[in-house]
Amino acid sequence: MHMLRTVPRRLLAGAGALLLSTALAAAGTPAPASAAAGADTVGYVRLAHLSPDTPEVDVYLAAPDAAKPKVFHGVGYGVVSDYLELTPGRYAVAMRQAGAPASDPPVLTTEVAVTSGEAYTVAGVGRHADLGLRVLNDDLSAPTQGRAKVRVVQASVRTPVLDVAAADGPKIADGVQFATTTEYQQVEPGNWRLRLAGAGGPSTDAEVRLAGGAVYSLLVLDAKQGGLTAELRRDAQGGTVVPAGGVDTGAGGTAGTGFGAYPLIAGGLAAAAVAVGLLLWHRRRRTTW
Amino acid sequence: MAPAAAHHLVSTAPDPAIRRHRDRRAPLAALVAAGAAVCLAAGTGVRRGRSRPARPPPSFHPGCADDCPSATAAPPPASTPQGPPTRVRVPRIGVDSTLTVLGLDRTGVLIPPTDFDKAGWYGGGPAPGDTGPAVIAGHLDSQRGPAVFARLGELRPGDRVEVWRGGQRVSFRVTGSLRTRKDRFPTAVVYGPTPGAELRLVTCGGDFDQRRGHYRDNVVVFAVTEPAGPLLPDSAAG
Repeated sequence: MHMLRTVPRRLLAGAGALLLSTALAAAGTPAPASAAAGADTVGYVRLAHLSPDTPEVDVYLAAPDAAKPKVFHGVGYGVVSDYLELTPGRYAVAMRQAGAPASDPPVLTTEVAVTSGEAYTVAGVGRHADLGLRVLNDDLSAPTQGRAKVRVVQASVRTPVLDVAAADGPKIADGVQFATTTEYQQVEPGNWRLRLAGAGGPSTDAEVRLAGGAVYSLLVLDAKQGGLTAELRRDAQGGTVVPAGGVDTGAGGTAGTGFGAYPLIAGGLAAAAVAVGLLLWHRRRRTTW
Repeated sequence: MAPAAAHHLVSTAPDPAIRRHRDRRAPLAALVAAGAAVCLAAGTGVRRGRSRPARPPPSFHPGCADDCPSATAAPPPASTPQGPPTRVRVPRIGVDSTLTVLGLDRTGVLIPPTDFDKAGWYGGGPAPGDTGPAVIAGHLDSQRGPAVFARLGELRPGDRVEVWRGGQRVSFRVTGSLRTRKDRFPTAVVYGPTPGAELRLVTCGGDFDQRRGHYRDNVVVFAVTEPAGPLLPDSAAG
């Protein structure tokens, strides 16, 4: 009789614990993750040659588990590639002299950790004597209130310290050094005449058209014919009027029994399990009695 | 494979402890059944928390394993498509719909298509094929049953989406998806500027709020176009 009293108590305690854990699991069903960072899509990488006195190079871009790297042959000064859409991960970048076999040790290497939705420019920067590979983070986030965003990528040694300002408009860069890049500045969209000038070097003007919602880099280079040249690159484009929040695209016709049904079903199953357990236990006791 | 196989063997082999103590069978049955219930309950969390399966191994553009498009080897850029998008087709989930143009209500919220069997393009943003994130929304269901984007959640990276503008077809490749609460909608991720022509397909998901008459979540599928022009333009140095 002692056995009879303790065993059901233990069984009931166990069943109770199970029921409690089931209830907790049902009640504690977490709210869906905001998932803003969960959009595991692509990151963007582009390559740039920004060293005026460095000859053409071959650039190798290798995914962590790819057998063969992507190869870009004969990349010369002033070339900025389009963005590549890459699966997030760590990529190895290697630079060799143009035409050098892939088995040769690279002149320069670096690594770029690609995050979903982020953009990077991997650039060979500086003079040839102290050439380096630099990973620039390109902030492609939307400018506010339909404006445009622009930054200066300074790759001219002829005018090593440069000011960029719009005629009758905002200053975009102030004393930006050779081989550096400014932060993005927000400006009103439209046509602008930009004045590029610096102490002790040539200067130039650039006519640019900036669209609202777009992100630009102004590339400043030593021109082959002498002097300075500037090229506006559109890094990214978005809409100027962005909808607020999500969209109501469903009327519930396939929603089943609605919210709350699932925990009820789970709880019911747990209760049924306990009942079956007790029943089976009682039946066994009876047959052996 | 080896660890999985070993685990399988262990779980199916008769457990000597169970055979010896036959009187434990009843609680064991209860345990298994209750365990199943716990798993079912916990499953709601797992299902809702992770809306995406593991991503496929990293891959480059098809046909670009060794030498990639350069200024010399690139195909000629296709002529730019013009006009609003007229039709969307997603072969994997059997979607083939004409497109309406969607706008915003007075509070700035996107108005869904009036027709449950038709998808709509947000006309205030980039058009599919133009640089930027084009947005196409469609209903998950009507009050009677499935609607045009009922199976959107089945799309996986690598799936194709085609959008027509006039007579021209723009092809997109799915790169991922997310599910989010509408009150925490990741506007910057969905509508933020992109370097190339991209596409977002939007529908509903998650639990249906009977009181509001709307679903609580949105499902967003992300897609990109392959670059048409040369990846490496000529030097700008002149």
